[in-house]
Amino acid sequence: MIRLPRLPRPVLRGAGTLTATAILAFALIIAVTGALMTRHAINVSFTEQMQIERAQLSLERMLKIQLDEENYVRAYVITRDPSDLDSYRAVSGQFQNERNTLAGILQREGLSDALGALEDYEMAHRDWHTQVANPMLRAPSTAVRELEKRGKMLVESQSGAARFIEQRLDRRNRDVLSSTQQQINNTLYQRMIWLVVFGLIAILLNGWRSRLTSALEDERLTTQTLQRAFRSEHVPLPNCRIGSAYGAASSHLAVGGDVFDVHQLSDRLGLIVIADVSGKGVDAAVLTAFIKFTIRGIALRRRDPGFILQEFNRAFPRTVGNPYLFVSMFVGILDTWTLRLDYASAGHDIAFVRRGKNVEQLAVTGPVLGVMEEPFDVKTLYLEDGDMIVLSTDGLTEARDSHGNFLEASGAMKWIAEEGEDPTQLAGRLIERARARSSNTMRDDVAVLAIAVKRPSALPPKRGTETGTTAGIEAIADV
Amino acid sequence: MYKHALLTLVLLAGIVTAASAAQQQPCHAQRGMHVTLFGGVDDPDVLVWDSRNRLVNYGAGSTDTRRFLLPHAMLTRPGTRAVVESCVAGIVHQKFSMDADDAVGVLIVTGKFRGRYGWVSSSDLRGKGIPEAREPW
Repeated sequence: MIRLPRLPRPVLRGAGTLTATAILAFALIIAVTGALMTRHAINVSFTEQMQIERAQLSLERMLKIQLDEENYVRAYVITRDPSDLDSYRAVSGQFQNERNTLAGILQREGLSDALGALEDYEMAHRDWHTQVANPMLRAPSTAVRELEKRGKMLVESQSGAARFIEQRLDRRNRDVLSSTQQQINNTLYQRMIWLVVFGLIAILLNGWRSRLTSALEDERLTTQTLQRAFRSEHVPLPNCRIGSAYGAASSHLAVGGDVFDVHQLSDRLGLIVIADVSGKGVDAAVLTAFIKFTIRGIALRRRDPGFILQEFNRAFPRTVGNPYLFVSMFVGILDTWTLRLDYASAGHDIAFVRRGKNVEQLAVTGPVLGVMEEPFDVKTLYLEDGDMIVLSTDGLTEARDSHGNFLEASGAMKWIAEEGEDPTQLAGRLIERARARSSNTMRDDVAVLAIAVKRPSALPPKRGTETGTTAGIEAIADV
Repeated sequence: MYKHALLTLVLLAGIVTAASAAQQQPCHAQRGMHVTLFGGVDDPDVLVWDSRNRLVNYGAGSTDTRRFLLPHAMLTRPGTRAVVESCVAGIVHQKFSMDADDAVGVLIVTGKFRGRYGWVSSSDLRGKGIPEAREPW
């Protein structure tokens, strides 16, 4: 009983590819998300830094205003120039705007202690106006040392508060920078971790893939070996030109369940076989070898196509052990001297004979093999000079056009009639046309065997009686 | 047993004392040093206080406290020269500041208040061996 090893399933390869793609997509998402997060963190940090810089600028302006106010007051006390007074009033009006800007930013940044210092600053500034500047401006000539002391005290209060606000803004700026750096680092570390994880997964997947590839390579080598062993082949027969072609449905597997064989049984007799095993792939290919050599063996014992099919039909189910497998087969024995063809067909109706431009279909003489045990009729056909036997498997008649219509036997006969007389070219062309009809996506293998006969000019010397022949073959021997 | 405990306590006390002494920074202004009084760029006048406590209270006090203390201060012009009489390190804490200045007792040797003694913050002193005051404040 033939037992074949289980090979890796294509679905596993598909799952592996899908997983690898998913991991790659996930890694890309992580990378892009990380980049976006970094960009966001930098953006937030930049905005905050801008705010802090604006606050620092406002504080500097407030200090400048304070200094200008003092200078204008002193200048007015000394010179009594009204323009100094105008300048003093002009700069004093700007203080509140800067103070409001600074207060808003401090509030947004959550610097409540700096806000408290700002209040002190404002209060000292207001006191300086009311208790120092205004009395000096009202009575410049009576400016006394006590006012100067008070002014000194209030200026020191403002400076102390401003210094504190500046320190808090500086610290906040450093915190923002540090936080941003931390955030960027965290994002970077996370991305690194993810990338390491993905890398490890990729390495694992690559190992798995390598093992799978190795298994596939083993399968390919096995298939090639089987292909060499089980290849359909033909040997030259006297007075015959033989052509054959094989079209595989799967490009990567050039061996399938279709088989043909031309074997020389004797000087004048040739065995012609074509068969189609149900099923595909290596399983079917193994069976083709079984068919080829079994048929040869039976044919060597008795050259009766009906007997050959009957014997094979008995052996097939017992050997294969699979009740669902069946074989359609055409077996012919050609007398190359008389061009007499005895044939039996087990459900194989894709057998034709071309005479000039006329093509006839050879009749089926029994059921497919592997289904029931029945005798097979033998039919005899006398070929003429230039006639051609064209045998094919159902991949030819079942070639679909773009609408899904089969070629059928009638279409095949038409194609055969249209082709030239060279059997090799005819076989190749039939495969090409079948492939073109199905838009290069053939669903089934196709095997074509074409044998053109030529009447011999003179019969070779008689060498005795053929043994193990049928009645027809005996008749041939008598010729 | 008790001897060991006592010894341990003594050792611990010694370590703590040594550590605190090591942490305390010495005064930059040394007795006899000649210095110049200078407040700052924006207001270089210097307040010289009649007592060390008022100097300390002024530094850390509110505006009202300061106003209350103000009559006890002399406002000296920038550039007034003085001689250091004493120094207490790190006791003048300014409001809104973590830093502390030294309280320096000086004898004023030039200007309107020549011959008067008083206390100033070390940030208002300039002289050889005394670090520059904070700028621009």
